[in-house]
Amino acid sequence: MLAMDQGVVEEWLSEFKTLPDSAVSNYAASLKEKGSLVPALYKVIRENYSDLLEPVCHQLFEFYRSGEPQLQRFTLQFLPELLWSLLSVSAARDPHTSGCIEALLLGIYNLEIVDKDGQSKVLSFTVPSLSKPSVYHEPSAIGSMALTEGALANHGLSRVVYSGPHLQRENFTAQNRFEVLTFLLLCYNAALSYMTSTSLQSLCQLSSRVCICGYPRQQIRRYKGISTRLTVTSEFLVQLITGIHYALCNGEVDLGSKALDDVLYRAQLELFPEALLVGNAIKSSMHSAALKSNNKEGARSIQVEITPTSSRISRNAVTSLSIRGHRWKRHDAVDLGSPDELMDISEVDEGVWPGGVGPDMTPPTITISNSVTTLNLGAKAMKKCRLGGRSSKDKDKEAGPLTTGRAASECAELSIKRLTLTSSQSVPKAGALTSLTRTASAVFSRSFEQVASGNAPPTSNHTISEAGRYSCSLQEDGLGYLSPAPNHTQRSPSISVHLGSDL
Amino acid sequence: MTARKSGSRLETEIERCRSESQWDKIPELVRQLSAKLISNDDLGELLLGECKLQTYLKENPIKQGASPRGPRPKLVEVRKHLTAALDRGNLKADYLQEASLLMAKLCYVEGEYRDALGHYGRVNLDDMQLVGAPVYRLSMIAEAYATKGLCLEKVPAASPSLSNKNTGSPSSNRSTTDREQEIITCYEKSGDIALLYLQEAEKALSAGIQNRSPKPGPTSQDLELGYFLETGLQRAHVIHFKNGNLTRGVGRFREILRAVETRTTQSLRMTIARQLAEILLRGMCEQSYWSPLEDPPTVSPLDDPTRQGHTQCKNYSLSRRPRVYSGENLFCPQENTEEALLLLLISESMANRDAVLSRIPEHNNDRIISLQSASVVYDLLTIALGRRGQYEMLSECLERAMKFAFEEFHLWYQLALSLMAAGKSARAVKVLKECIRLKPDDPTIPLLAVKLCIGPLHWLDEGECFAKMVIDMGEKAAEFRAKGYLAIGLVYSLKATDASLRSMQEEYQRKALGAFQRAQSLSPTDHLAAFYLALQLAVSRQIPEALGYVRQALQLQGDDVHSLHLLALLLSAQKHYHDALNIIEMALSEYPENFNLLYTKVKLESMCRGPEEALLTCKHMLQIWKSFYNLTNPSDSGRGSSLLDRAIADRRQLNAMTLPDFSDPETGSVHATSIAASRVEQALSEVASSLQSSAPKHGPLHPWMTLAQIWLHAAEVYTGMSKPAEATACTQEAANLFPTSHNVLYMRGQIAELRGNTDEAKRWYEEALSINPTHVKTMQRLGLILHQLQRYSLSEKVLRDAVQVNSTAHDVWNSLGEVLQAQGNAAAATECFLTALELEASSPILPFTIIPRAL
Repeated sequence: MLAMDQGVVEEWLSEFKTLPDSAVSNYAASLKEKGSLVPALYKVIRENYSDLLEPVCHQLFEFYRSGEPQLQRFTLQFLPELLWSLLSVSAARDPHTSGCIEALLLGIYNLEIVDKDGQSKVLSFTVPSLSKPSVYHEPSAIGSMALTEGALANHGLSRVVYSGPHLQRENFTAQNRFEVLTFLLLCYNAALSYMTSTSLQSLCQLSSRVCICGYPRQQIRRYKGISTRLTVTSEFLVQLITGIHYALCNGEVDLGSKALDDVLYRAQLELFPEALLVGNAIKSSMHSAALKSNNKEGARSIQVEITPTSSRISRNAVTSLSIRGHRWKRHDAVDLGSPDELMDISEVDEGVWPGGVGPDMTPPTITISNSVTTLNLGAKAMKKCRLGGRSSKDKDKEAGPLTTGRAASECAELSIKRLTLTSSQSVPKAGALTSLTRTASAVFSRSFEQVASGNAPPTSNHTISEAGRYSCSLQEDGLGYLSPAPNHTQRSPSISVHLGSDL
Repeated sequence: MTARKSGSRLETEIERCRSESQWDKIPELVRQLSAKLISNDDLGELLLGECKLQTYLKENPIKQGASPRGPRPKLVEVRKHLTAALDRGNLKADYLQEASLLMAKLCYVEGEYRDALGHYGRVNLDDMQLVGAPVYRLSMIAEAYATKGLCLEKVPAASPSLSNKNTGSPSSNRSTTDREQEIITCYEKSGDIALLYLQEAEKALSAGIQNRSPKPGPTSQDLELGYFLETGLQRAHVIHFKNGNLTRGVGRFREILRAVETRTTQSLRMTIARQLAEILLRGMCEQSYWSPLEDPPTVSPLDDPTRQGHTQCKNYSLSRRPRVYSGENLFCPQENTEEALLLLLISESMANRDAVLSRIPEHNNDRIISLQSASVVYDLLTIALGRRGQYEMLSECLERAMKFAFEEFHLWYQLALSLMAAGKSARAVKVLKECIRLKPDDPTIPLLAVKLCIGPLHWLDEGECFAKMVIDMGEKAAEFRAKGYLAIGLVYSLKATDASLRSMQEEYQRKALGAFQRAQSLSPTDHLAAFYLALQLAVSRQIPEALGYVRQALQLQGDDVHSLHLLALLLSAQKHYHDALNIIEMALSEYPENFNLLYTKVKLESMCRGPEEALLTCKHMLQIWKSFYNLTNPSDSGRGSSLLDRAIADRRQLNAMTLPDFSDPETGSVHATSIAASRVEQALSEVASSLQSSAPKHGPLHPWMTLAQIWLHAAEVYTGMSKPAEATACTQEAANLFPTSHNVLYMRGQIAELRGNTDEAKRWYEEALSINPTHVKTMQRLGLILHQLQRYSLSEKVLRDAVQVNSTAHDVWNSLGEVLQAQGNAAAATECFLTALELEASSPILPFTIIPRAL
């Protein structure tokens, strides 16, 4: 390490310590101007044995803890390099463990998994649904949707958790390592737009190395570092791919596509469906995309051309849309008996219908296939559909009037549509279900009441309240349960048993 | 058109034809018009000029990117008409403006950009009324703005001949910026007005159809955007992106998309929705995102930093804007993935509508187009949903893609992978079969199928077929060849465990060993090959050899949990219990939440440290269980809040189930019930693998199975301490979860025995066997009791059956020896005792098969 670099880093270390709180945001903005600092820090991280590593890690953690977004991003840009440093050391079983890097990464992780109030953070997002109006569409214009189990379950907008809650971690173990690292990459990916190209390059390198070390491809890539295989998880690879995708589209074409290939190679060897799925999709979409990256200076250009607005598909081709008319015309003609190709195709067009009620009856499913309705039940089924429709008229009005034009023939489709709505309304009606759940939870609470009432400190407030909520049902049941008597006389934990009337 | 129309009706008719672009009817109408009044001649000239110009453009459309050049002979006539209309000056102001606009358009078509700009300068487009204007005029204004933009792009900025406001100053940097801004504003206005025009035109059209029914007429054909409107709608965002100004480009995209759709804009909307989704997924992240209803950030990392100055916001207003989607409770995305998903779902529904279904050769091109536009959307959907772990929803989306998928490998493969990721194993295997047919050379596909077959499905015969496919590829399979051998070895190994005949067991074990050896020699650096070889050797009780390979595996992968576990079990088989315990504790320091290791720890502790320690471990397990399932979220399948909630919800299924120990919610049962109703080992191994994030997904029953296991282990420790009351309580906990589990019944039998209640114990054991007729431990106990009751031949029968099921259970051999001895069959008894002795010398503390075997 050059003395100059060392000087830059040392100056950076001392500078921040003396900074008053009020000057932090100005300081954060000024960091960009220190051109030689970032490369010098990369050097410190790469040279694992440097004396500066510990203070640097400490300062990076201070930056992260300050809560100032720009400082946090400054720390985050080194994340790929830090991850590689950690993984390569642990793979090489180097006795000189990179304790301070571990501490820094765990520190960031433990900061990120909780919100401002110290509660476990749960990252969630809303799955949009076409059946609800949005700023970009109106459900009535989309046309009827397939009546699948999933469509029913998602009839409304559902909020879905994609990460968290996570446990606080004090140290890395083989079991939690990738859980922590995956979450850290998630944080990194959330700030991708702010990352420098050096950081993106480092991410691509990390991905390649993690995936090929110890495999025959290592020779092809001519990487001479460690040669032991690193264990990976599918989720970790998916997060890497997300970052690579961004790099690939924002100037790092060579490194990015190499990294993507390497990750896919590893995902194939490990038979990870998730990583293969996303990786394949990116590869195939890059083929068709007209993306071009200009020069390397952070030029993030996405090319868009003027495209003809008329449909490129000739009018006389049979499409899903055009075939819809066919079916309903036939229906009007009361031509119910003849099974023909068109029926089959039109059924596919409505989506794949669930084959039957599975052994697990999770959401109530309604399995009606078009062809069954028309062929076997005929008029009767249609009547039923209309009955269903009446009860949900109000709902239908909300959805807006149907597009005009095919008025007469549309009526059958309308009733199917109504059916979709009724069935979805009936979902929460299953009252018996909730009561079952309640008893189930009562039984459940009993089984770990033992733990909750024990002398062991509960892990969080959350669990206490939970135990409290269930405790009343526990008394009602009056079944036997275990509770450990606190260790008083001797060391052995004698577990006393209370027996209820049932036994 | 036989009857003469009155003046106002005639005008309406003309207006309608202009709005609907029915230029061929204009000459006839003009003839009627001029027959009415002399002063209409000028209007007639205007209309004729317009209709000829439009007809010309329809016949010779301007292509994007190509610029028109020079005067055309056909347009001479147009110029004549328009000059006539303008020069006489008799026209009403509105018509005069129209004539000027048409003249400017003509100039553009002829390449006279400066002249065109001159005309626009005279008209002052911004003064033209949008409110109450007839539909055709909206289109005219929109085209005029677009044309003006085009002209401004063509004419250099410094040109002095411009009659515009911003001229005069010498060309400076600032004026080019202003110029660019002016161009963009022209296009944006043009786009907005074009959207408004299309909405109005569609409204007029549908009103027209209603009025003129029942005769439908040929008018229902779609409006077509010409070159000018297309340019107006799209050129603004193209310029934004060319300038690296992502913020404004995205803003423009959103404005277009928020306008209520018309038939004509459908295709444009689909393209733009897809492009915007691409940008959201490729160029944005959570932190740089802003919602469509928010103002964009003033400084954004998305914009080209060298051109920061361009990020001014939209700086014009129109007297009338296109209608946007509105109403209460409109969903507005708050995150880039949400917005991308919404846009992609919209594009998907459109792409799906356009799926070309006919397979006749003439439609080949159409089919390719529809396939391409759909597969781009599906790829983006995969990226968006994959990031968020929503594989279940993804598999449903991809299922809808199947109408495009005939012989399309990519779509089939993606569907198979999504089904696999969503845990729909049985269907995934079926789809993978199709993928193999489409791409028989790819070894990954059959390997994925084997993974499912030996994992969640336990379809060993199918698994064998798939594994053989990989092996048959030979050298072609390259690095996957070893994997193929590993796969088939696992299939044989599992078959050996399932086989009920001893000869079959041995046959399969031999085959498995051979396969693992092959895999190991092909890929000596793969720790899995060495590990499974060791495991197989251990199962066939070749302990020293197994130890050698497990050490090799650990050298390759020092922190592999299964290798460590196997090492501990091997040490326990050599009766080095303390060493084994040390290894387990070491492994637990790396995998503190691995229940499989903890079960072994309980066993070892009660062996070398006494039952109190073991009980402490049981308690610790309960704590881990609670914290683990209280917090963990199933990132895999998504819906619902925490795994615990889902598990609670699924509890209602338990009571209805007869064989709870292994039902997989999707496929019915993991094992055919004929093989064995239930075996602790398998339940255990599944639990163990469920703790690893890379393992296949499991149903929500697993937490409960684990919990029941913990209680049963505690019960066992209590029986070992001769504390029947405590043991009963623990068993009751497990019984509350799984009342019909044979393990629970077996434990109850043990407790009854402990209490000296032989009859009751016998009853429990018989019940356990009625649920699982091949539970060896129960058979052994039942045999012993029958022996005590002096029913020797029945006892012998039961024990012989038990030996058939598991020939390595030494205590069964021992009991059998005792029974035979009691019957006076000393020679046979000796042999049994010797076998028992020999087996006991290599018997691990828990069966080796508790270690999961998966690819």
